[in-house]
Amino acid sequence: MFESFIEGIGLALRWDTMIYISGGLFLGMFVGALPGFTTLMAMAILLPISFFLDPLLGIPFLIGVYKGGIYGGSIPAILISMPGTGAAVATTFDGPSLTKKGQGRKALEMALFSSVSGDLSSDIITIALIGPIAAVALLLGPPELAAILLLALIVISATSSGVFVKGLLMLVVGLFFGMIGQDPIGALSRFSMGIPQIEAGIPLLPMLIGVFALPEIFTNIEKKASSLIKAEDLKVSGARLTWTEFKSCIRTIARSTVIGTSIGMIPGVGQVVAAFMGYAAAKSASTHPETFGEGELEGVAAAEAANNAVNGPTLVPLLTLGIPGDNLTVILVGAFIAQGMRPGPQLMEEQGSLVFAILVAMALANILFLGIGYLCIPFFARVVTIRKSFLLPLTLVFAFAGSWVFRAQPFDLAVLVFFGAFGYIAKKLHFDVTPMAMGFILGPTLEYSFGQSITLSNGELFGYMLFERPITAVILTLTPIVTFLMWRRSNRLRKQFETEE
Amino acid sequence: MRMINLTKLFLGTVLALGLSIDDVKAEYPEKPITMILPLGAGGSHDRNARVFTSVIPVFLGNAIIVKLMPGASGQVGTAAAARAKPDGYTLLFTHNYYDQLQKHVKKLPYNTDKDFITVGKLNSGSFSVIVRADSPFKSWKELVAFAKKNPGKLKFAHSGNWGATHAPALQLFTEAGIVKNVVMVPYKGGGPSLRGFLAKEADFTFQFKSTILAQGKKVRVLISAGKKTAFKGVPTFGDLGYTTDIGLMHRVLMAQRGIPADRLAKLRSAMTKLQGHKTYKKLIKAIGEVTDYETGPAYEAQRPAQSKAYKAMVQGLMKK
Repeated sequence: MFESFIEGIGLALRWDTMIYISGGLFLGMFVGALPGFTTLMAMAILLPISFFLDPLLGIPFLIGVYKGGIYGGSIPAILISMPGTGAAVATTFDGPSLTKKGQGRKALEMALFSSVSGDLSSDIITIALIGPIAAVALLLGPPELAAILLLALIVISATSSGVFVKGLLMLVVGLFFGMIGQDPIGALSRFSMGIPQIEAGIPLLPMLIGVFALPEIFTNIEKKASSLIKAEDLKVSGARLTWTEFKSCIRTIARSTVIGTSIGMIPGVGQVVAAFMGYAAAKSASTHPETFGEGELEGVAAAEAANNAVNGPTLVPLLTLGIPGDNLTVILVGAFIAQGMRPGPQLMEEQGSLVFAILVAMALANILFLGIGYLCIPFFARVVTIRKSFLLPLTLVFAFAGSWVFRAQPFDLAVLVFFGAFGYIAKKLHFDVTPMAMGFILGPTLEYSFGQSITLSNGELFGYMLFERPITAVILTLTPIVTFLMWRRSNRLRKQFETEE
Repeated sequence: MRMINLTKLFLGTVLALGLSIDDVKAEYPEKPITMILPLGAGGSHDRNARVFTSVIPVFLGNAIIVKLMPGASGQVGTAAAARAKPDGYTLLFTHNYYDQLQKHVKKLPYNTDKDFITVGKLNSGSFSVIVRADSPFKSWKELVAFAKKNPGKLKFAHSGNWGATHAPALQLFTEAGIVKNVVMVPYKGGGPSLRGFLAKEADFTFQFKSTILAQGKKVRVLISAGKKTAFKGVPTFGDLGYTTDIGLMHRVLMAQRGIPADRLAKLRSAMTKLQGHKTYKKLIKAIGEVTDYETGPAYEAQRPAQSKAYKAMVQGLMKK
């Protein structure tokens, strides 16, 4: 194993490999930053390029697109509160508030540094622990997935701003929205109210833009000119991240990296959950949790480090067992196969050095990205120096254009407007829409894995979990305890808040 | 002498260019064609489509652009293709289960027989039944015998209800008489079903050849689809007396029934010519697929028989 690793380093250290990675990173970042375009689309379109390239150029190129795209998604999330994917939602808690304070550039740099450090550390952990991670992937099946998702949803609702019960209520609403369309197992249509366009469910992207970006625009329009960004704020929008600021977040980044890496080992959970768990953990560990959501650099760092730390371990099931971990890695399988390599145990045995070379290239991609991202940030940060009277209508245009280019379906614009109104009303009533969005994204997976668990148990769910799935039993026992602790904490914080007022 | 040649060459070029410009103007396709895939990114349809579209412009004179429209077990993309103008600029790249089986299971917002006509079958993916290397079953017959004696004991991992591995498995199990004895465990796609199978959540599963080869000695192939066996020494469905067509997923390019005849002919001839192209053959081989192309009319003739077989199977299952 170690010999292949050393050989792998040698294979990966090539100039042309570096150039292709950089090209991929650059392309990915731009595509990810454009509202309405997803990393998945970019990779699917660029896949054929890799057919004609050397494996150590084509695959690292696609990995570059993948990593660049994930960071790119955080750019509109920070600047105009427009998450392109579920993974960027947690970044909208603090990013836009920082931008409003004139610290957009700082937030972008923090996102870059925490993404890169989270990702790099997780890649190193992955290379070191490739065997055990592969074993974990087989240990955690549908019952564990269902239990983990249930727990995650409760934690997410509890850490969203505001009252615990309101968070849970929004979660239920989100779970309902997620049920619209077809049930994930039997494909029977339900709650579609005779609207053919939602037979396949509500589209995610217009919904996310609607619920997060539109209310932001509306509330900005409501405010009088006086309360918009002041002239002096615009001047400091170029403020850079200082070393002390980064240092103060190192603990948070390390915590999020561990969380993200662990979540990455569980097949099917992914970046969305990781970002929220990282954020939640940072908030509860902080001595000043009240500043989270008001423009806290640590919040950006926590979310970004965690969602990028997922990247390393998600590749392990693919490389060692031949099982792709998510949609993006499925595309990588295509690239591997076209090169005559079949990811799986066979590849690991016969061409171990090549597998390690690809992992090393992944780690290198991070270092390259540090430079590329750093050079590009000033360009993106300029967006916020546009006058508010232009920026607001421009954001609105982006919201509609983004929802349109996604699939070019007129109905998606109706979805955007509906969820824009929904988000606006929720905001006015002090409901946080995050648990709703998360319920919507994770609900169908939860339902699917629950259904699978019932089939697997042959109808004797209780005994099956207790005797054959001890991990599930432990997580399910923990869930009510965590819920109770979260509820108590939320109450205590509220009381504290009331007495202070 | 040389001068004359150059002049001739020049004149010839101008003539040829003039002619070809006229040709392009008059002839279909004048603009890129959209090919809808009612499936997600990165699957085997997507991979085959990428190879197909990267070479076909050579014979068509214009590009084909892949548009992925997954959702509602293929209904989103298929419905969009059915609604599009029958002008040959929107095509559908689908498979036999969406085309002929789904209509027997649920009410669809389109009629695949009335709405679509086959341009051609690009190729077929063939599935094989695998068990883990530590499985007690050395042959398919042993597995069937065990399942018959022990209803509810064996679990089968598939890639989603009525999907590309569920339907053929049901067909095979029906013919083997074990369809009611096997627990069918759904997973979200081929990858997750492989994970479940390797994690011993299920006893056996269907996979494509390229996936099986990647597993090396960790799995054992019991029976395989197709006319010829995909694995040495492993019997095919036909060898053991089952219907030969089971376990083959046909990747088919379709157009709307209303497409002008000359345009359909152009598409069909481009697809036929493609089969001799070197780069195409090389790429298809590289992604682990085959080039068992069938012409539009040939495939068209098989659709009613497929429908009949699927209908009988679905009705048999409903009787349960």
